[in-house]
Amino acid sequence: MRRSRRVRALVALALGAVLALAGCGAGGRPDSGSGGGGQSEGSTVGITADSIKVGSHFPLTGVAAPGYSEIPTGTKAYFDWVNAHGGVNGRKIDYVFRDDAYNPTQTSQVVNELVLQDQVFAILGGLGTPTHGAVVDFLNTEGVPDLFVSSGSLLWDQPQKHPMTFGWQPDYEVEAKILADHVAKTFPQARVGLFLQNDDVGTDAERGIRRYLDKQIVAVERYTPGNTDIGPQMSALQAANADLVIGFNVPSYTALTQLQGQKLNYKPQWVYSNIGADPVLVGSLLGRFSQGQVTDNALLNGIITDEYLPRADNPADPWTAQFDAIWKAHGDGGALSNFRIFGMSQGYAFVQAMLAAGPNPTRQGLVEAIEKGGTQFQGPWAAPYRFTADKHSGMSGVKVVQVTGQTTKALTPVRTTSNGDAPIQDETAGETPVPPNGIPTNPGA
Amino acid sequence: MLQFVNTLLTGLGQGAVYAAFALALVLIWRATRVVNFAQGAMAAFTTYLALLVVESTGSWWVGLLVALACGLVLGAGVERVVVRRVGPHNELGAVIVTLGLFVALQALASILFGAQFRSFPAPAGLEGFSVGGVTVALTPSMLITIGAVAVVLLGLVALFRFTDVGLRMRASAFDGEVARLLGVPVGRMLTLGWALAALVGSLAGVLIASGSLVWPAYMDTVIVNGFVAAVLGGLDSPGGAVVGGLAMGVILALVTGYVGADLVPLAALAVLVAVLLVRPQGLFARTAARRV
Repeated sequence: MRRSRRVRALVALALGAVLALAGCGAGGRPDSGSGGGGQSEGSTVGITADSIKVGSHFPLTGVAAPGYSEIPTGTKAYFDWVNAHGGVNGRKIDYVFRDDAYNPTQTSQVVNELVLQDQVFAILGGLGTPTHGAVVDFLNTEGVPDLFVSSGSLLWDQPQKHPMTFGWQPDYEVEAKILADHVAKTFPQARVGLFLQNDDVGTDAERGIRRYLDKQIVAVERYTPGNTDIGPQMSALQAANADLVIGFNVPSYTALTQLQGQKLNYKPQWVYSNIGADPVLVGSLLGRFSQGQVTDNALLNGIITDEYLPRADNPADPWTAQFDAIWKAHGDGGALSNFRIFGMSQGYAFVQAMLAAGPNPTRQGLVEAIEKGGTQFQGPWAAPYRFTADKHSGMSGVKVVQVTGQTTKALTPVRTTSNGDAPIQDETAGETPVPPNGIPTNPGA
Repeated sequence: MLQFVNTLLTGLGQGAVYAAFALALVLIWRATRVVNFAQGAMAAFTTYLALLVVESTGSWWVGLLVALACGLVLGAGVERVVVRRVGPHNELGAVIVTLGLFVALQALASILFGAQFRSFPAPAGLEGFSVGGVTVALTPSMLITIGAVAVVLLGLVALFRFTDVGLRMRASAFDGEVARLLGVPVGRMLTLGWALAALVGSLAGVLIASGSLVWPAYMDTVIVNGFVAAVLGGLDSPGGAVVGGLAMGVILALVTGYVGADLVPLAALAVLVAVLLVRPQGLFARTAARRV
């Protein structure tokens, strides 16, 4: 009921917005195909001799907006930087992102607009499993490259069904496997509890975790996003004497579990997935409760999580330094955050893929270039992609870290694996050096 | 055993808020015979105002006072400016207007205060009391919540049962024309009813936000469960609303803790259907046949 009412409200708003937009008549059809330059194999919609149009959808408002709404600002700054340095093969990137409020109905509408009205060449980094799940069929039917979805779901890896769609970040199963393997080795006696979001985040994660910790798990509790009363679940974890809890949840629920734990004086070792563990965001939520009862992110101190991108609070990392320079030049004046680095890294990945597609890219050519060279694409990410013609999964690994104060320290080197029973291995390649100006060169050249 | 006690206590704390919300519904129902769907959005709005005050003054209590005062004004304003225009004897129209208000206020809150999660400070500690070396899920903040609901309940019962104003309000709601003939300023009574109800709703809004997170739609769960609580207790009975609220809190906590969090909305629906089938006037309503 709660949901449907909100949905109804949003639908009404969205209808209004669509009508208003339609009234404005965004008619200007880009002269598609004019700049393809001879090679007429495949579609060149959205590309001219001097521009590439890219679209995306993000929650800029609504419950999922905190943090996530910063991602496209990072991507935008990165593209502005690339454009200022001459663009991609002389083409400037025109980046259009729209607000879907994390509401699949709205995602369908804005992606329809991006594809049919704005005539984008590709969609980059559309965020969210339920939201992007609503448009993945449409994009594949229309033949629009659907690159680097911002979600760790396994849904994006179906090259037979969705040949245009590629994942990006390590999927929840890979992340769960590496975290669980670390827990099994470091805490072999722990009584493990699971705190999971009751959708595919939770189910994918549980599959990965059970591969290593099946015998140690004493309780599995789930929460429904939107219901902030998680007292009963926490009581159940406490009653099962779980002394280590693995949480695959969004950041606000990290804050809630910590608050509830304080209420019950229940302080297990917490292990949170990357999506729920941004120390700055969670700390800002926790930092402002009641007269010094909860101070800063002291509660987060000691929690275990994982990382796969450079961190905003680590200027010693050459990638962070590069992104900081880009953000200072083209940002909106706010602070460089992990979310913005996520967005910039996606921008980097897109530029790299476009370069791989050659001087006269087509939609099909872009997809083929990623399938052909994807495993060799290097950038700020810690572990290589798994892109081939048969697999469209993104990064293959993470490193396990522990939060200490405002920053983190590494507990393991970068470790890689894949879905199912693929073994976990240490990644030996080391960090990729930053190319000049932080702009990739053609990885195939 | 500890899990059961803690689940029960969590449920009672949550139930106290449902009770406050149900009380607000009962108030408007008793005063104007309208079910106010905008109650939650109005409460969320005043809670945001309270948050601004808490953040600038650092005092939770000042924030609460501001929320209550704004609730009073907002309730009176909504009745005078919006609901009254629908006209008397058009209860369905009024209900639909409140639905529209619900959407509009929630959207306005997103525009004015932003749509992101924000933390709302608590009035007192958020750490559970320790009983015989065991920490139970009862915090000083929860005691304040339960105490506030008890005070409001007693105040309302006293108002309706022992004061002239209460009697006039009931008379206006029961039959406006007869009451007017007897010299009751019916219009003013209706406004007062709405104002008081919005005040209680604002209280519920601040109480549930305290020590937790707020966003424009955070009252939505409370709206649903508060409605069920009011129906369970009988829309006419303040005492019933409180018992209904506490019962809903405990039932839903037990379902979450022992059955599964996904079944909570279903459980609320099951309670609603069961009450409507078995005792449609609610557990505590005395005048079953008054409204035909």
